[in-house]
Amino acid sequence: MEITVSFFLNGKRVTVTAPPAKSLLRVLREDLGVTSVKPGCEAGECGACTVLLDGQAVTSCLIMISQVEGKQITTAEGLERNGALDPIQEAFIEEGALQCGYCTPGFIMAAKGLLNENPNPTDEEILEGISGNICRCGAYPRIVSAIKKVVKKGVV
Amino acid sequence: MTSTESVVSRYESLNRSIPRIDSEDKVRGTLLYVTDIRLENALYAFTFRSKVAHGKINRIETEDAEKVNGVKAVLTYKDIPSLNGYGAIVPEIPVLAYDKVRYYGEPIALVAAESVEAGLEALSRIKVDITPLPVIRSIEEALDDNAPKIHEKGNIARHTIVKKGNVDKARASAYVVLERTYETPMQKHMYLEPEGGVAYIDENGTLNVIAGGQTPYRDKLQIARVLGISPDKIRVKNSPTGGAFGGKDDVTVQIHLALLAYKTKRPVRLTWSREESGIAGFHRTSSKIKLRTAAAKDGTLLSNEAAIYLDSGAYQSFGPTILDVSIETINGPYRVPNYYIDAYLVYTNNGLASAFRGFGAPESNFAIESMMNELADELKMDPIDLRLKNILRTGETGPFNNIIRHSEGLEEALKRAKEVFYRPDPSTPFARTGVGVAVAIKGVGFGTLPDFPTAAIEVVPEGKVRIMFSNVDYGQGINTGNAQLVAEKLQIPVSQIEVYHSDTKYSPDTGGSSASRSTFNAGNALLAACEKALSELRLEAASYFMTSSSSVTYRGGNFYYKDRSINIYELAKRLRSRGKSTFFEATYEVPRYPEPVEGTLEVPHMVYMYGVMVSKVEIDEMLGKIRPLEVDFIADIGNVINPAIAAGQIEGGVIQGLGYSLTEYYSYDKDGRPLNINYTTYIVPTAKDSPMINVEFVRTYEELGPFGAKGVGEIGIIPVGASISDAVADAIGKRPYRLPILPWDFI
Repeated sequence: MEITVSFFLNGKRVTVTAPPAKSLLRVLREDLGVTSVKPGCEAGECGACTVLLDGQAVTSCLIMISQVEGKQITTAEGLERNGALDPIQEAFIEEGALQCGYCTPGFIMAAKGLLNENPNPTDEEILEGISGNICRCGAYPRIVSAIKKVVKKGVV
Repeated sequence: MTSTESVVSRYESLNRSIPRIDSEDKVRGTLLYVTDIRLENALYAFTFRSKVAHGKINRIETEDAEKVNGVKAVLTYKDIPSLNGYGAIVPEIPVLAYDKVRYYGEPIALVAAESVEAGLEALSRIKVDITPLPVIRSIEEALDDNAPKIHEKGNIARHTIVKKGNVDKARASAYVVLERTYETPMQKHMYLEPEGGVAYIDENGTLNVIAGGQTPYRDKLQIARVLGISPDKIRVKNSPTGGAFGGKDDVTVQIHLALLAYKTKRPVRLTWSREESGIAGFHRTSSKIKLRTAAAKDGTLLSNEAAIYLDSGAYQSFGPTILDVSIETINGPYRVPNYYIDAYLVYTNNGLASAFRGFGAPESNFAIESMMNELADELKMDPIDLRLKNILRTGETGPFNNIIRHSEGLEEALKRAKEVFYRPDPSTPFARTGVGVAVAIKGVGFGTLPDFPTAAIEVVPEGKVRIMFSNVDYGQGINTGNAQLVAEKLQIPVSQIEVYHSDTKYSPDTGGSSASRSTFNAGNALLAACEKALSELRLEAASYFMTSSSSVTYRGGNFYYKDRSINIYELAKRLRSRGKSTFFEATYEVPRYPEPVEGTLEVPHMVYMYGVMVSKVEIDEMLGKIRPLEVDFIADIGNVINPAIAAGQIEGGVIQGLGYSLTEYYSYDKDGRPLNINYTTYIVPTAKDSPMINVEFVRTYEELGPFGAKGVGEIGIIPVGASISDAVADAIGKRPYRLPILPWDFI
């Protein structure tokens, strides 16, 4: 059985037909060609597929396509404004908060989700906010610095 | 050399923390990793794996699978055109199992189908008949006299003895002799991008394999041997790869992809799931090391006796050379006049062990550095003073007859460590704090093994310099570092440099990314190519100025003569207009000792990195939790090309080492089935588990390195186990002898 679902991907309405239990991750990658959303475990453990669902960070591998009707989905591709990178993207570059880069879009979306909910997080809240994401290269100290930098600038 | 002038960049390209050149693509998410590639008309590939860890294969039936609609190929060992084997050192790992299976998950058949559903259906219809054999789960079991043989030759893959002096005599005169056994676990790489990629035959008949890897030319050779075709008909590209850490250095999916594309003449895509990576991917050798070390009353080391056992798993991939590095590092950076090292690489049915960051050094380091700390206790000496007393100084002859080129950096790092090695705050009930220290040493590159990296640069008239090397940047930042080296050499901005790496189509064979070699080896080869380019361009400039080449000067990308100048790009245009190439290739001979020490393959190295790690931990005795609070890591990596990237390498290594020390242990059940194959059950550190890490570099300059650089990739992980253990011992008065340090070991 397949269902037809409409939602907003980075502000644009998209319509897909897929089995209802197909993961948002797979729909984004396989049906819509969104490559920033990475599969790392497909079990909600690594955070590499994190997207914003109505502004909230979720692991897209655990969201079924049947759950996103009418929702706003934001991926790393949707962060740029008029060709300019989002401040959090800039901060990741400046702080060297990435190595292989595979987990990076997921971390950036987790950080976005965190700052959407709490624009002024404490250090502890930042750590908590990204604790669902794994960076095996171990860029954590710099990822934390990048988030702090954005918080400090207040440019979220 | 520790002078400060020598480390200052003259052209503002070195010693600068410029962002990685691929940062923007990475934060945008637009970088297409090897498993992101989608090819038109591609088949989906799957691997049929053994559910028996050790057994004799009686029959493999694929007829039913072949009948599934949409299935284009079901391949077994019978379909392998030439050699059914691969392996970085010895090609003994079957591409597809034929007579026996030796580990759970060993590949037996491959399926390629038009759809995922058809592929999975075909997998379910493959039948194998295997007679199980007893499973060997540990080094001890493997070495038992009555153990079943995993291979015909037995369960010892390699045994060697390396010795010097007279340990019996030295021990007899010692003030203190300690005998201890140390154990370290199998560690999984757990890179975020599992093994995978694509393969296709292009319009020229070339077989393209684009898959996560670290050494494209060796992959190419290994594929060619299996297919029985010329390597010239194969192209391998290994990037962008989402993490590797040694686990993609030997072949993972490459040969399977090649075989399927070759047989079906269709593009093929093969990506392992997380669990498949957990089952079939490589892991770090576990180790058991018995040490007996003797010292005089003043702390002078007199002898070191080591029995080293590494678990290679079912086959040897990099095992033989990993054993060498463990031999080389078991004496630390110390003056050890007498030693006896009895080293074994052992087969078990524990999957496939291979390279992992540090390559035998973290294993040995845990043993010798824990031993040094315990010797300091016994001698009532400061642990750093004990090391300062015993480190080999510049110009001295090391334990493997090597002349120590530079150890001032290590001495300085130790002295600096003394300043940060403070006694912790008084412990409160149930929360005890402790401080620990360990020293790391690791050779850069392949030691005495031949290594002749070739790299190239091309001066493009449009205003770019392309640099080409085959090493793979899977996050270390070598693309950026090598671009900085070339920019410095040619005195041009880094923005004028375009990097072509990890692809046999564009780059000559510079070797792969391993052994912390990619700055030293590719860097030196690139600088040699720059020399060639400058020399050729100088002649062209002289011809343009109508003067002699010795009258021409070079500065900042321009050649000058009197009041005239011409830049390298205009010169490239002139050369091209006459049909001359502006591509310059050079081979660098990596300096090495002419022969290895007797009993080894690659010992010693000529250039070593050093690190000193001071760590502070807090132990919650109620929860049984060890929390690393702070790490100070002082490193000697030579001149630092890009401080932020280099520090990031050390931070990342330390964090992987914390996992290795506290939570990570890959394990098998009694039937040889791996137990923790995903992030749910194999626990890697998150941001919450990462302490504050202060990285400092002592200023040193290695004349053999490109602009004084050595290497950095591996040094961070090496001392973590011993340093954390020492801090735990300081906190609770009980020394760990096994990693990871688990609550029931200390409560």
